[in-house]
Order: sequence, then C-alpha cells, then structure tokens
Amino acid sequence: MTRNKNNDFRMSKYILRHLPAYTMGILLLLMVDLTNIYVPQFTAEIIDGLAENPLFSVKDLSDIVLKIFILGIIIMVGRFGWRYFILGSSRKIQYELRGAMFGHLESLSARFFNAHKTGDLMAHFTNDLNAIREATGWAVITVFDGFIMTVMVLVKMVLYVNFNLTLLAFVPMILIAFGCYVYGKVVEVRMEAKQNAFSALSDKVQESMAGIRVIKAFVQEEADFKSFEKSSEDCMKKNLSVVKLRIQFIPLLELVIGISMMLSLLFGGNMVLKGTITIGQYVAFNSYIGMLVWPMIAVGDCINIFSQAYASYVRISKIFDESPDILDSEKENNVSELKGEVSFKDLTFQYPDGDTPVLKNINLDIKQGEMLGILGRTGSGKSSLSDLLLRVFDCEKGTLLLDGTPIDEIPLAVLRRDVAYVPQDNFLFSDTLEENIAFGLEDKVSDRPELRELVVKAAKAACIDENINTFPDKYQTVVGERGVTLSGGQKQRSSIARALLKDAAILILDDSLSAVDTDTEEQILSNIMELRKDKTTIVIAHRISTLSKADHIAVLNDGEITEYGTHEELLNLGGFYKKIFDKQQLEKELTEL
Amino acid sequence: MSNFNDDKTESSFNGNALFRLLTYTKPHLHWFGISLVLVMILTGTELLRPIFIGDAINLFKEKGQPSELTATVIKYGIVLVIGVICDLWQGWILQKTGQKIIFGIRKEIYLHIQSLSSRFFDLTPVGKLVTRVTNDVDALEEMYSGILVKLFRNIVYIIGLAVIMLTLDYKLALFSFVLLPFVVLLTGLLRYFSRKAFRVSRARLTDLNTFLSENITGMKIIQIFGREERKYEEFDDKSKRFLKASFNEIMVYATFRPLIYISSILSLMIVLSIGGREVLSETISVGTLYIFAQYIQSFFDPIQELAEHFATLQSSLASAEKIFTILDEEAKIPEKENPVELKDLKGKIEFSHVWFAYDDENYVLRDVSFIIEPGQKIAFVGATGAGKTSILNLIGRYYDVQKGNIYIDDVDIRDLKKSDLRRFIGQMQQDVLIFEGTIKSNIRLYDDYITDEEIETAAKHVNASHFIEKLPRKYDEPVSERGATFSTGEKQLLSFARTLAHKPGILVLDEATANIDTETEILIQDALEKLMKDRTTIMVAHRLSTIQHADKIYVISKGRIIESGNHFELLDKKGAYYELYKLQYEA
Repeated sequence: MTRNKNNDFRMSKYILRHLPAYTMGILLLLMVDLTNIYVPQFTAEIIDGLAENPLFSVKDLSDIVLKIFILGIIIMVGRFGWRYFILGSSRKIQYELRGAMFGHLESLSARFFNAHKTGDLMAHFTNDLNAIREATGWAVITVFDGFIMTVMVLVKMVLYVNFNLTLLAFVPMILIAFGCYVYGKVVEVRMEAKQNAFSALSDKVQESMAGIRVIKAFVQEEADFKSFEKSSEDCMKKNLSVVKLRIQFIPLLELVIGISMMLSLLFGGNMVLKGTITIGQYVAFNSYIGMLVWPMIAVGDCINIFSQAYASYVRISKIFDESPDILDSEKENNVSELKGEVSFKDLTFQYPDGDTPVLKNINLDIKQGEMLGILGRTGSGKSSLSDLLLRVFDCEKGTLLLDGTPIDEIPLAVLRRDVAYVPQDNFLFSDTLEENIAFGLEDKVSDRPELRELVVKAAKAACIDENINTFPDKYQTVVGERGVTLSGGQKQRSSIARALLKDAAILILDDSLSAVDTDTEEQILSNIMELRKDKTTIVIAHRISTLSKADHIAVLNDGEITEYGTHEELLNLGGFYKKIFDKQQLEKELTEL
Repeated sequence: MSNFNDDKTESSFNGNALFRLLTYTKPHLHWFGISLVLVMILTGTELLRPIFIGDAINLFKEKGQPSELTATVIKYGIVLVIGVICDLWQGWILQKTGQKIIFGIRKEIYLHIQSLSSRFFDLTPVGKLVTRVTNDVDALEEMYSGILVKLFRNIVYIIGLAVIMLTLDYKLALFSFVLLPFVVLLTGLLRYFSRKAFRVSRARLTDLNTFLSENITGMKIIQIFGREERKYEEFDDKSKRFLKASFNEIMVYATFRPLIYISSILSLMIVLSIGGREVLSETISVGTLYIFAQYIQSFFDPIQELAEHFATLQSSLASAEKIFTILDEEAKIPEKENPVELKDLKGKIEFSHVWFAYDDENYVLRDVSFIIEPGQKIAFVGATGAGKTSILNLIGRYYDVQKGNIYIDDVDIRDLKKSDLRRFIGQMQQDVLIFEGTIKSNIRLYDDYITDEEIETAAKHVNASHFIEKLPRKYDEPVSERGATFSTGEKQLLSFARTLAHKPGILVLDEATANIDTETEILIQDALEKLMKDRTTIMVAHRLSTIQHADKIYVISKGRIIESGNHFELLDKKGAYYELYKLQYEA
C-alpha cells in the first residue's frame, strides 16, 4: 500500500473494498445457521422414533445419526470460513485505516501537532481503530448471526413445534436482549470510572517512585503512603462497583433461561401429555431455547459496540478533516536548488493560535556564504525565525525570500533538502547512531554501506566520533530505551552531525551548542566554518562565545532586531549585546584575580 | 497444561509462590469456606435440572398425570432459584474478599518499597516498580476472586457429571467418554497455539505502537528532513507484520474452535447411536438418553474453562513471583532500636575514616575524614565520579558506610532516628522534581504544618516569588509532573523555596550543571547566599561564585581528599585545584 496524501475518509469505501469477503462470510454464516437448526430436529426425530414409534429400527437410528454428522461437518467448515472472511477483513480494514491515518498525519503541519498531544493521537491508533475493528468484525458477525439465527430458530419453533408455546418461551428471552443493552451501558460508565481510578493510582505510584528521594529527604513517607492508600481505596471501590454488575450477569441470565425452560416444560409438557406435540418436538424446543440465548446477548452487545465504534469513527474523521496547510504553491516554479541567500523583508509574524506577533518588522539580508549569529533571551522570537525558514509555519507572502524567490513558491522538497536544521530539543530516533546521522540522506546506511564514510566525516566535524567509538557497538549503537542513553551533549552533537551530513545550502543551528563545553564548542564552530565556507549558516545562541565569530550578529528583543553588526561593532555599541558579554565575562575575569 | 507451555519461566510451576499466595487467604478462610459450600450447592442444582427434564420425558412416555408434571415443574423452579441465589451470593463474597486481599497486598508492597534503601532505587527503574504495584497486583485479583473457586467448581461439576452418568448407565457412560481425551488434547493445543500467536502479535503491536509514538513525537524532524516517504515505508512494514500476526491469531481460533465443535457433535453421535440401541433393547429409558445427550455436551465448556483457568493461574503466579521478589528485598538501612534523641541541632558534621562502596568491593570513598563546624560552608570539587555526590548521600543516611563513622553534633548518625536525621537536613538534588499539584503543594510537600504565609515568605526570600506571582493563579497555579512549564532555573528556585520552608539546620546541596540564562543565574546566586546564611552547608559546587564563597574547599580525587583550603590558598598551592580550575574556567 502506498501513501496517499489527500485522504478521503469514508467508512463505506473501506467496507466496499472488502465487500466480496463480507458477502462470502455472511453467506457462510447463513449456511451455518441454517444447518444448525436441524441438529435439534434430527435429535428429536431419534427421541420420537425411540419413544413413540415401535417400528423404529437400528438402521433408522444410524441414518439419522449420519445426517447429524453431515450437518456437523458443514457447520465446522462454515465456522472456519466466516472467521476467515469476516474477522480477516476487519483486520485488513484496520490495517488500511492505520496506514491512511499515518500518511495523513505525515502531511499535517506543526500547527496540528502543537495542538494535539502524542498520547491523544496514539489513542486514535489504538482505542479508536480497535473499536472500529470490533464493529467491522465481531459486531457484523453478531448482527447477522443474531438476526438470522433468531429468525430461523423462531420460524423453526413455530413451524416444527407450536406457535403459542414459542410465544410463551420467547417473551422472557427478549428480556435478555434488553437487559444486555442496558447492562452494557451501565458497565461502560462504571468501567470508565474504574479505569480512571486505576490510571490515577498508576500516576500516583509513578510520581512517588520517581520522587522517592525527595519524599525521603523531606521525611514525608507517611503522608505519601496515606495519599497512596486513598488512591488505592478508590480503585478498590470502583472495582467493586464494576464487579457487582459482573457477578449478576450469569446468574440472572440463567434465571431467565430457566424461566423459559420452566414455561416450556409446564405448557409444552401438557401439550405432550395431550398429544398436541411429540416428546421429540418438546426436546427440540428446549434446544431451540438454548440456541436463542447467544443471539439475544449479541443483539444487546451489538448496539453498544456500534455506538462505541461510531464515537471512534467521529473522532478519527476529525483527524482526517484536518487539511495540510503547508503545501507547495500552485504556481509553476522551476526552483530546483537553493544557493543560500536569505532575506527578510519587513516580516511580522504571529503564530496561528497566538494573540501577539512574535516577530515584528524584521529586515535582514544574509548573503550566500555568510554566517549570521542571533542572540536573544528565551521568548525573544529566535526560534520562530527558524520555524519560518523551514516553513514549519507560513509567513505573509513576500516577506521572506530565498534567492529572491518567495519561500512559499519554492517546492517543499527542495526547501527541506537544501535547508539543514539542528533543533533545540535534539530528537533522535531509536535507530542506530549511523542511521540517525544519515537521516537526511535518501538511502539508509544499511542499504548502502559506502555511506558510512560520510557519516564518520560528519561525526568528526561535530566532535562526536570519539564518543561514538567508545560505545561497545560504535556506530551501530541503538539510541534510546533499549540502547545506550546518550547525554544531552552527545545527543546535541549527533544531531549536529545529522544536519552537517546534508551539506545543505543553508544550515540553522537553533541553540544547539548549549550542552557542549566551550572547548568543544569552539572546535565544532571552526569545523563548521571550514566545511561551509561558501554556504550560509545561521547560529542561534545565548552564549557570546558561540556567536562572536559570526560575520554578523543580530540581537532579537521582543521580536524586534534591536542591534545588528559584527562582534566588535556591537561591543562598541554598548547595548544589550555588550551587557550580556560583560555578564558572561564575569566568570572569566574572576579567574584573573 | 504445563507441558503445552513454551515459555520456561512460566511453565515452572512454582509451588512456593502458590503457597505464599494462599497464605493471604488465611484471614478470610471462613468466607472461602462459605463460598465453597455455596458452589457445591450451585453445582448440584445445575446437575439436577437436566435430570428433572429427563424425568418429565419419562413421564410423557408413560402418559403420566398433569399433576405429576406440575410437581416436576415446581421442583425445577425451586432448584433454579436456589442455584441463582447461591451463584449471586458466592460471587459477591469472593469478589469482595478478593478485592480486600488485593488492597492489602498493594499496601504491603508499597510500604515495603518505601522502606527500601537508595541502593535499591539506583538499580530498579521506576517503571518496573510502578508495574509491580499496579498491574502485577491486579493480575492477582483474578486468582483470588475467580480462579480458585472456579477451578473447584468446574472440577466438582465434571466429577458430578461423570458420577451421575456412570451411575445411570456405566457402559453408555464409558462409551460417551471415549472422545473426552481428544477434547482435552484439542483444548490444550488451542491454548498452546493461541498463546503463541498472541505473544507474537502482542510483540508486533508493541513494536508498531512504539514506532508510532516516537514518530508522531518526531514528526517535525521527519518533515524538516523530508523523510515522510521513508518513514511511511518503515511504518507500513511494521503495520503489515502486525496484520500478519493478528491474522495468524484468527486462524488459530478459526481452526480449533470448529474442531472442538465437531468433537462435541461426534460425542452426541456416539451417545445417540449407542444409547439409542439401548433404548431399543429397553436397557435404558428415553429420559436417561436425554440426560446423557445433555450431559455429554456439558463436558465441553468446563474443560475449556479449566484450560483457561490454568493459564490465568500461571500468569498470576508469574506476577506473584515478581511481587514476592520485591517483598523479599531487604531494607538495608536498619533503624536503631533505642535511638538517641537530638533536640537542638548545632550543625556540626564529622566524617571519620569513612570508606564507602555502592558495590561490595569498589570503594568510591576511601578513608575520608573532615570536620565541619556549625555554620561553616564547605564545598567539594573534583572530576565526575570522584565521589563528591556520594559524600552528600551519606550524611542523610541514604546509604550506610562500610567502614568509619559519620557524626552529627558528635552523635553517630546510625544512632539517630532516620526520620529525625533527615528532618535536620535540607537536601537539594541536581534535578528538581515537580509533583502533580500546585505551586503551594510543591513547596509544602505534604507537610501541613507549613502555613501559606510561610510558603510565601520562603518563596520571596529565595527570589522564586518573581515568577510565581506572574502566574495566573499565583501560588495555586496547577503544575504537572514533569513541570514542563517551568525553566530549569525556575525549578531550581522552586526547590530552594521548598527546602527553606522546611527550615533545615544543615543544607546539603548538589549544584546543577545545567545551562541557565544569565539573568536567572543571578537570582539563583543571590538566593543561594541567603539560604546558606547561618547554616552549616555542605555542597558539591560547579559555579565559581559558589565555590569562592565556601569557607573551605575539599578537592576529591578517586575517593580521597587530596587538597583542602579556601579558594585563594588552593590557587596559591598550584596543585590539583589550580589545574582543575584552569581546565574549567579558562576558555
């Protein structure tokens, strides 16, 4: 299956695709049900033969037993078949939906991901898709099986046995269907309360265990235990409220079936005594009552499954309704490569969900091959600049030009190929280090081992090669939970290597040297300057040492460029830059005491 | 069913764990006794009901009186109601008892974990502990509130069926039983294959979900690097593998369920053809044949349920073993029986020839001795891993030393009550932990004796009020576990306020190395100075300004004190401190 970008999400589309399988499955269900209702009838024929027909012979007996065997074989095959067709299809639909959803997510912009937590999105992939799978699998079976079975059994009861008796025995059975529906609803509510209590307990334990050292240091074990006990007790109470319902289910079901059986014994029995029906018919009737139990439960269940699935469907639809907002311009454009000239023209920018502009009247020209430093406090708008350059967000047309072309007219593929980025948070994937560093390349290193040379070169420039070689698995070390945990500085340098490997026309380092000591920082910076002589580099930082070697430095304050110039010029200016420089010199100066 | 298990750890049926689990039922034995009696009665009623119908059938054959039928119906009704009552009653008793036992076990394990030493927490990931207290304990619930009695019930039921059948007609009974071993085998195979398939699909699902969650988190990077297509392929590969695995799971059931069904049909055939012949030869009545036909079908559910019970029992035992492993973990910091009471703390700290190792052999502190007079400020410097943090951890007795003594106001800390000792000490760790709650609750940290005024005063004193008062709800601002909304510097200030509010006599500080912007840094410096005023302070310092404020600096190398003196004295020595200093502060 390939990724399709514009997803048209309609359930019917997915069902239709598997319609042949569903049809087969339902036909098989029909066959099984049809066959199934003859088993009691044949058994009854034997009983009648034995009880009421003096001429009934061993041969007759064997014939009927053989017939039952044939029925059994048909049912066996049918049951295999409907599981295969219907449950199989539901799994395939789930797979297709999952693919469509992931593909769709990949097309959505940062705006969407800022508004939706990973956990919530994961819940769509797990809970919601499962609810839909249940509805397209078991619920389909239940609906058809339930209805077909009920109708057939009732018809059989009326035709083969007796109408009044059927009516009498069936009335309590309706209670089951109704009861199951109500029961399901109530259980659902209480289950949710129970699950909430359980996750509250988990959160509580998680927090206390993580903070056990603080709790011990402040000698608060007792108070902590009391708050745990409260959570735990709440959990128990919620559990009992679910269990209270659970334990009633089977006994009450038995009671209703038992009442049906009693009614059929009393009234059916009298009919047998009067000769209205035969013993065999009575026995078959009892079996039929038994056969009605599951469809009745199913009908009640089904309604709940479908209502849950519908809620899930609505939630998922909302995701599909989100349309990608960072798109290639419709205008034909032949930009196929960036040279690295950047110019901001009176740019003002405000995040879609923000209420104040984070960047105001920015005018900046960065020439190809230039290194620009940006200094600013947290919240000054530094990172918004890189968001715009990467088109994570769109700015007003014409205010940001690359090589003279408005950024939104540059194909996204070109833009993102030719702009390399080292993010602040150093996200690495749980893959090997070499795959992480080679992330920007078209091919995986595992497919093209010759790329390794490039990886090592980039790692050397980012001063991480030495570290990597101390790991037991070197470049094959897997990052993350099951692998080695990298320190903040190591992650930062790996992520610098990842960006350097792209050898892109524009490189943005977004506060990416903060966890690296000053010596290494200097080394990395000089490597970068060496490697990127004729390419554009933008360095965002709050350490002067990181910025001082840049060709120009811009100081951002509350979204505005307040100072601009070379290191010396800015020092002479005596503004914010100078102030920060002095503060940071303080420590240095202390050494000269 | 243990021979059907491929997993060694689970198939080793641990009798000890089972026995130990059973000991928890001791206080509730009378309830278990009552429910067993109820279950016996219940099973009896279940066995009786088909017999009444069989009686009625014989009555029909003999053309009996309607009044006799009515009597049978009434008997059937009474038995039915008794059964339902017993079932409801025993269900409720068991569930309630089960929940109580679970509640008790959960408390026990939590208290036990709380009492364990820091060593244990160093070695055990938090996630593991959480699972023990939550999911693993939950896995036991099934066992107390269901399995034990259900096992009993099904066994009684199966035996009851067999006994009645054998009594009615032992020959027909034996023929009827012919297929049962086959059914048991099929059930076992179903369990084996379905578990195997389940494990595979579980693993694939975990794999897929891990991938999804990681890549949704890293979507920005994927998009910036233009790697959507490749990531989609990786995703699709995992998604397909999961599809395949779950399809296999379906196929296992699709194969075995119908097979089990056909064997129930075969059993019915055997009963009907052999029983039918016996009716023809008038060895048994039609009613008896009916009872046999009903009974033979009744064997199937209990057999399958038993298989399921054994599986549940095994996973309960697996959880139980994990829980018991934790419960058997010994608290390594023992409390003295008649501890010395220390009323007014002066704040003198003495280390006397302290040797300490986390593991038995590898000493991280070797023969460390020093004395800190009340009110003095002492800083430890040294390379990472030199043993600085260990010294801090020993003062609060989070670990015990192997050799030597630590005294506070000339009392060996092992003679003090742990809680008293720790109350004296304001210990601040490198990474600040924010608890779910409000700013206030984070400063107070459960201690209700601390008033709101004290909280605000403390916050003001350490410069934390600046950012707190900018929050919409100030001190009542809700904060989340990871404290994502605060910067490292702000969290630091918050922890200062927390420590100050608890009024410690001794300050133990492990200074963070994290990067903090210059302005917050100044606030922190100022707050630290205020905190340290008039308090014995012992710290691992990284900031030059903090180190310079210390009355005495100890240079630690490989677990030994190699130099001491104040900043200037040490610089003049041109020794290790001088080198260290040059390395760190001269760019």
